[in-house]
Amino acid sequence: MKALAAFLGAIALTLPLSVFGHIASNGFLVADVQDTRLQGSIELAGRDVEVAIGVDANHDGKITWGEVRASAPALRQYVAGHLQFATQGGICPLELGNVQVNDRVDGSYIWLPWSARCATSVRKLRVHYTLMQDVDPSHRGLLTLTDGAIAQTAVLGGASSSRAFDVTQASALRTFGEYLRAGVWHILSGIDHLLFLVSLLLPAVLLRDRGSWEPVQSARPAFLSILKVVTSFTLAHSITLALAAFGIIRLPTRLTESIIAASIIVAALNNLFPVTQRRGRIAFAFGLLHGFGFASVLADMGLPEGARLLSLLAFNLGIECGQLSLVLLIMPVAYALRRAALYERLVLPFGSAGVAALAGIWLIQRAFGY
Amino acid sequence: MTRDLARTRADVALPLAQFYIARSRATGDLRYLGYAEGELLPWVGSPSPVQPTALVLQATILQSRHAFDPALVELDRALAIAPNNAQGWLTRATILRVLGRYPEALLSCGRLAPEAESSVVQLCEQSLRALTGHLQEAYAEVESIPPAALPPPIQAWRDSELAEMAERLGEDTAAERWFREGLRVAPEDVYLRAAYADLMLLHGRAAETLQLLSGYDSFEPLLLRIVIAQRLLGDTGMATAAGRATATAQARLESAFALEEQRGESVHRREQARFLLDVEHRPEASLAAALENWRVQREPDDVLILLRAAREAGRPDAAKGARDFLAQNQLQDSRLEPYIEGARR
Repeated sequence: MKALAAFLGAIALTLPLSVFGHIASNGFLVADVQDTRLQGSIELAGRDVEVAIGVDANHDGKITWGEVRASAPALRQYVAGHLQFATQGGICPLELGNVQVNDRVDGSYIWLPWSARCATSVRKLRVHYTLMQDVDPSHRGLLTLTDGAIAQTAVLGGASSSRAFDVTQASALRTFGEYLRAGVWHILSGIDHLLFLVSLLLPAVLLRDRGSWEPVQSARPAFLSILKVVTSFTLAHSITLALAAFGIIRLPTRLTESIIAASIIVAALNNLFPVTQRRGRIAFAFGLLHGFGFASVLADMGLPEGARLLSLLAFNLGIECGQLSLVLLIMPVAYALRRAALYERLVLPFGSAGVAALAGIWLIQRAFGY
Repeated sequence: MTRDLARTRADVALPLAQFYIARSRATGDLRYLGYAEGELLPWVGSPSPVQPTALVLQATILQSRHAFDPALVELDRALAIAPNNAQGWLTRATILRVLGRYPEALLSCGRLAPEAESSVVQLCEQSLRALTGHLQEAYAEVESIPPAALPPPIQAWRDSELAEMAERLGEDTAAERWFREGLRVAPEDVYLRAAYADLMLLHGRAAETLQLLSGYDSFEPLLLRIVIAQRLLGDTGMATAAGRATATAQARLESAFALEEQRGESVHRREQARFLLDVEHRPEASLAAALENWRVQREPDDVLILLRAAREAGRPDAAKGARDFLAQNQLQDSRLEPYIEGARR
């Protein structure tokens, strides 16, 4: 009879049941990476918290707001002992905030905000999650990890209670690529910057000698001239781009755009009626204004929190790449054609005049808002 | 206190785990399975001397989560240590049956013999014969087991097998009688209640279904049947209280399915397929869920939802695997017949 009784308990378990029932226990972990800082929240079901630390002080089977508040210190201690973030620089100490109650379709949850400061910029993040595991090994932490615009999700607990995530590294590369492309695209589609540069570069294969243009004898002076212009322009616009991107200097867009148009006219007219052969200085002076022009594009895109410097660098590098490819495309041709009469008589004067006229229209449009 | 005791003493931990599993059954709450698993942890790993009973209980938990292959692994470990563990063999037979591996399941039933009552062995074997071309005879055999001699849980098991056999034979009136009888003996049997609700829904008896399931909405699979019945009655829209209740229930099911998917589990995949088909009317999505479910389990209900979804989605060929399975096992089920003939035409 005893054997049968033991067996009966068993029978009750093994009828050909499909499983029925409530969903298993889940915790909702949200984490956002901001450079060296982590911020987020952990949300546990009220009944799970009850099992883990005992919230229902008067044992009436109900969890009141007063009981939740009273047990907040114990909950913070419990979470601190079972949730850990670490980077390559070590553990990021956790700071836990004030509890709130959140109702989900499957019951009340206790929501706890947290933040953590890491020793270094977060690149590899290890999340160690053992909440509830000792009482309910089927509990899972559903993690949503965001880093700028990039979100990763993961299931924590059980065999994978500790998991590592490539955070800034993976996303930094992507951000870098994104801003690099934006830089290239902007310079190649921003014809005003290109025309300014071309106007300054067209005479580089010629020398001004007693009121007339002469082709350079060798590549060396042409190369040096191009180098001077391009370096000056790059240096100047990089300075102001950085200043504007970090909000140190702000200029009205209309002013900068108008001056950019004016700069093209100046560069082009200087080819028709040469005033100075120090085109590097023109490149530098107006390059400062072009930098503000680039910055306005960047302002539209926004710099990702935590990767501002990196994105700025990528954007600027993109601009230089675009600029350099233009120089490599045009200047060898200009150098080859420098002795041809049409270069000095046609390309330089008419090209410059056309550019000046076009820039004039832009100037009127930009300055007067047509 | 109890928790600390259970860490060190198997005679505390194992009954406690068993209690939690029973609680999970009675309340439909999967958390109790987790608590049971927590109690078993020290007794199923390698450091401590492994307890065969603990392994069998662990297998039961895994089975409940539809982790059938890992469950079989645990059972094989248990049965290697204790070859006469009837509980282990019965659980094994049950899992193999759910997987549609009938010949292997039948062998496991045979291994019950030394320790189990002959009625249990008979139920185990005949329920399998009923799925493999001997439905009519198996029905008669099980009916001939005198119920009075059986303890209530086995009585309820007998009734549920008889009800399902009758339903597969197309004898719905008899099936209904067995369902009622089973629920009288074991009102807490959720599986039986769900199967009875399905029979009612098949005949469009929505109001009666709601009556049968009233108070059982904490069980997701029963909640699904409630929602289907409510929609049959036209209780939708936010204008009426009944309509709002339907919407809330629907949201609860959606959330449960979504969270389960997020966890990478498939406990309620069959219900999800049915939800997508009968509630949301998204046959393609339902077919995808039904096919995924088919990879995990192969009960007649799994065949049914797959055939239905495939037809509704206009892709009867997608259920070819299920039809081959039926033919191969000579599985007879009147509910499936319309879909089989439909496909042949």
